[in-house]
Amino acid sequence: MSRLSKKSPSLCTDLPLDNADICKKLDLLRQLLRSCFGPTGRLKQVHNNIGGHVVTTSTSSVLLPAISSSQPFINLIKTSILNHVSRFSDCGLFAAILCLSLIEQAKQSGLRGNVAIRVNKHLLGLCTSYLQGEDCGCKVKLDFCSSQSLITLARSVISSKPTCVLTEPETLHISRLAVQAFLLTVPCSSPGIVSLGKIVTVSVEGHGVLNSTVFPGVLLDMPDVFTIDKVENLPSDALRMVLFSASLAGDLSELGDGIIEVHPGVDTDSQILDQLLELGKQVVKDEVKLFVCQKVIHPVLQQYLRGHGIIVIERLGITLMEPLTQLTGAQPVATLHTTIPAKAYGRVRDLRIRTFGSKTMLHLHPPGECAICTMILCHRNETMLSELKVVCQKTEHVLRLTLREPSALLGGGCTETHLAAYIRHKSMNEIPETVSALGCSQTECLLGVEGFCRSLEAVAAALEHDGGSSLMDLTHAHHWSHPADVLTEHMGDSLGSCGCGLVESSPNQKWTYLNSKYPQFSPAPLSEDASVQPRVLDSFTAKLNALQVAVETANLALDVRYLIQDVN
Amino acid sequence: MLGSTIINHRQHVGLQKLAALAGITHSSLGPNKKYKFIQDEASGESALVCSCFRIFENLELSCAVGQLVHETIQAHQKVYHTGSGCLLFLAGAWSRAALECLQRGIPVPHIISALSEGMDICVDVCRKSSVSTEGLDVEPSESFNAKSHALGFLLSKKPNVEASQASHNLQETSTVGLKTLNGSRQRQIKLSRHFYEARSENVSTVTQPDHPKLPDIAHIAKGLSHGCVDAMNLVVEASRVQSKNHPGNISCSTFDVTKVMTCVLPGLPEEHACVLPGCVVLVSDEQASVAHHLKEQSLRVALINGDLSDTYRHLGFKKLTGVQCVSDQSEFTSSSKDKEWMEKIVALLLNLGVNLILVSGLVREEVIQRCCRHHILAVEKVKASVLRAFAKATGAVPVTYATQLSRHCVGVGVKAEIWRDLSSYDGKPLITVNISTVENSELVTVILSSCVHGKLQAMEDRFWACAYRLHHMLEDKVLLPGAGVTEMLCVHHLQREAEKHVKHHRERNRDSAANPYRGEVLNLIADGLLDYISTVMVNTGRFSKVKAMTAARQQLQNNNESLDAKFSQLSLEGEEEDSGVSLLIQSSKAPAVQIYDNLSVKQEAWRKALDLVVLVLQTDAEVITGIDQTSDDTQEKLMLL
Repeated sequence: MSRLSKKSPSLCTDLPLDNADICKKLDLLRQLLRSCFGPTGRLKQVHNNIGGHVVTTSTSSVLLPAISSSQPFINLIKTSILNHVSRFSDCGLFAAILCLSLIEQAKQSGLRGNVAIRVNKHLLGLCTSYLQGEDCGCKVKLDFCSSQSLITLARSVISSKPTCVLTEPETLHISRLAVQAFLLTVPCSSPGIVSLGKIVTVSVEGHGVLNSTVFPGVLLDMPDVFTIDKVENLPSDALRMVLFSASLAGDLSELGDGIIEVHPGVDTDSQILDQLLELGKQVVKDEVKLFVCQKVIHPVLQQYLRGHGIIVIERLGITLMEPLTQLTGAQPVATLHTTIPAKAYGRVRDLRIRTFGSKTMLHLHPPGECAICTMILCHRNETMLSELKVVCQKTEHVLRLTLREPSALLGGGCTETHLAAYIRHKSMNEIPETVSALGCSQTECLLGVEGFCRSLEAVAAALEHDGGSSLMDLTHAHHWSHPADVLTEHMGDSLGSCGCGLVESSPNQKWTYLNSKYPQFSPAPLSEDASVQPRVLDSFTAKLNALQVAVETANLALDVRYLIQDVN
Repeated sequence: MLGSTIINHRQHVGLQKLAALAGITHSSLGPNKKYKFIQDEASGESALVCSCFRIFENLELSCAVGQLVHETIQAHQKVYHTGSGCLLFLAGAWSRAALECLQRGIPVPHIISALSEGMDICVDVCRKSSVSTEGLDVEPSESFNAKSHALGFLLSKKPNVEASQASHNLQETSTVGLKTLNGSRQRQIKLSRHFYEARSENVSTVTQPDHPKLPDIAHIAKGLSHGCVDAMNLVVEASRVQSKNHPGNISCSTFDVTKVMTCVLPGLPEEHACVLPGCVVLVSDEQASVAHHLKEQSLRVALINGDLSDTYRHLGFKKLTGVQCVSDQSEFTSSSKDKEWMEKIVALLLNLGVNLILVSGLVREEVIQRCCRHHILAVEKVKASVLRAFAKATGAVPVTYATQLSRHCVGVGVKAEIWRDLSSYDGKPLITVNISTVENSELVTVILSSCVHGKLQAMEDRFWACAYRLHHMLEDKVLLPGAGVTEMLCVHHLQREAEKHVKHHRERNRDSAANPYRGEVLNLIADGLLDYISTVMVNTGRFSKVKAMTAARQQLQNNNESLDAKFSQLSLEGEEEDSGVSLLIQSSKAPAVQIYDNLSVKQEAWRKALDLVVLVLQTDAEVITGIDQTSDDTQEKLMLL
């Protein structure tokens, strides 16, 4: 007899953002992500409760997937941030902190939900049109004639993750490599549609960062040292190669589940092996010199191929398949049951053995021009290396985005403070139009603007983690930070330059603490001085999208009236 | 579910944990190590451990910092096989330094930049005080008189004369601008009667840089034994045996650690430890009788990389699960299939004339017996590096399946003989067979034995530690003065840098780019190293912690005073760095043995320790996944998302 248990009714929360528990959780998430932000951010150790592998990180793309919550709000925010990160790689923490600040500010202002939403939406429109406009004061055009601004952009991304534990020269070295690798993926002379190449990343643990390097072409792992002797005296002209995506292990694993009925006398293993050897014979006949398989190759086939002077590489892994097909022009063979068509073969030239620490690798060059390169990343330990790898991939993505939109935003919090000052000024001047357009009172509108601007400033202030204070100058509205431990009568003495490095402190400059009242002003554009280059740059495309994601996610969260949870 | 703990800033829990974990291994530091019992309360099992690495292997740490420490130590041990204790101690000492910095309110970025600068200073000191192994192949001809007793006791591992000598030489050569080894050789040759001959020799070495003179292993090894004299003697013996069998030059001494294996014989007294050329394995009675039958024959050998069995498949082969046999008869059972396979293999082996199979994986008892009946000796669990050595020496090609074997896969020129029958000692069969190649083999087996079973692992660990110290010495081609001398030098330089900065800072404190806390942090790093030195002294059993610390500080003080006088004269030359060594040593008693440390091991251990501290210092929260929110034992202090 089965027992019926009564279904418990669904749980409904009215106005969930007024719920203390939910607010506490959102605040905790905000603290958690805020403390990760920027080059002096704090790290998080992610591990499971039974003592699994510990991941140390401050990157949103690593940290957020580890976070799971019973709270739909947390999951909502997490999902939209991760979605942004998967498309743009950068500015994930920016979006998350801004989104959570906007929610918090909207609640604190006591505005009706829909008013806050309308104001936010309006201000987002102002922001995007300002950022995309020609006269934007916090945007710089990227100059592709020199690699300097690209290196600065790369450097800003790389130095924003302290888990990498890089010294100043190491950061510069990696930034240069990232730009070099990026430039190698841009094809030189291809008419028509340009398709970018790929950067293959190989990580080598236990070596200094300065040993990292970039090679054109692909490097494949060669774990089996028995084969090396023969490779050394290979001709450097183009060789024929074959690439398999099918497993050549000699098993029937690709058949899928289900029951197979066989006759007792049938030896499936040896039959497949015969098939494999047939394949081997064809490859030898077709004068293939390099045999690569994504998966495992049966040892008997390996022995056969090596016996005929062919270099065999197995267990290539899925990530290298696409770069290798691009490099060699080979088409991956997905079956072992037909003869290999001639057009499936690819070509490589200049095989060379390279060793990095414990790794022995085979270096392949393309037969013609090809935009594939390999980045060897070295670091002293696994934790730092894995973060460095993530950061470098992020940098590659950010650099690619510059091809679509060759601009960058001033970093170091300057864009945020500048934007906040601009919005304050602009919306003040246009208040009657705004009020009538949004259908709210002037007080409500002002409250909404204040909340939005404070949220932007809160992101800039999030860069500070050591008790220092965040300031903004009252001319250009750039972001400045003042360390907690320096006591001077004159504030200007200890400030040096602003977050992005474009503005130097001068005696007649005035500052205000962030999140304090100041008279609104129109931020002055910077004088066109070519000798001063910004020290920190952020990706334009990523930040613009992050801004939109943050505001829209916050608006969605503010729009939630009921939370209905099925507790069964 | 997810929990997160916010770590309090001024009392960084992570750093405290790191310091506490490091505390466990204080007694396994230095040459006088103490054993520890690790007991599992639940099962009542216990383990006797001696090294830092083994302690962590036997502890089940579930906290994040514990995991990080364990991973770091494993990574270090895998490559270096020694120095894990030093790594963990300094990680602990420096995490206390970082805690102290936090308590003084120093911002984290400043702590990190100063820590990394401190490491640069230490690495620089190591580089400058390192001694080329080439200058160390002759017994010291000068001896220093004891000028003071201050450092006579500095450590039980006594500071060395030769290091000072060599560094004198280095100092000289560096001022001349010759950083080569010839300089130090010349200096020694000057004392020789064969001055002119030696010089002409010296010129020839300059023109032929391809043939560097190899260092005298036996002599240097003494200084690298770090208290494990017996183990190091075995290593030296292994090196001697390898050199004798070296295919090329007979006179030069070599050491290839990949061709060394150990064979542990429990129940025998420790004096039975010895070194044999070839590969010694423990075998059963049947195998022994085959070996007896095969003695004085030149054997044909097959190498199998995998298990020798019908059912074994290579790595990555997925067996089909849902196979059903459809048949009207049931004559084919798995055992008959197995028999068929065995017939096939034996026939193949006999056909190829194979008398010996070395298998890296497992071989079933029946297969071994079956082979024995045909006078084929099958040996299982052979290390991959040993297989490779046999492949190289005999021309055999390792294969995965026995069915792959063909005439060109079989190697020749191997002999097997019973080394010793030790069965009588306690009734259990304990027969060892020595398998060696007739020529071209540098394989060496070190026999380790002890009456106390629990000690065997520690003995084996010690042997490998010594072996790798020698290996790294040969790789680095330089050594560091040991017995705390290098650490003392680092302390001296760190403190001097710290002082220099304070003066410097007072002069121009408007320089905002400079780190105002540099001096403080550098001093704390130096304190960590002093703590290390004094702990090693305490472990000798002759000092209390306080006494050791005072002695070390006193010694440092003496050095500083004498250095300061010298310093004013030397500071203009810019290469005064090495003078510290000589001063430290001149004030010591004439030592009996010279102590050295490995450069790469020490640097890497220091770096890893500091990296650990830097990572933990920057961490402010743990994110724990998979917490069951509903269970009551969820810790109170966790915050749930």
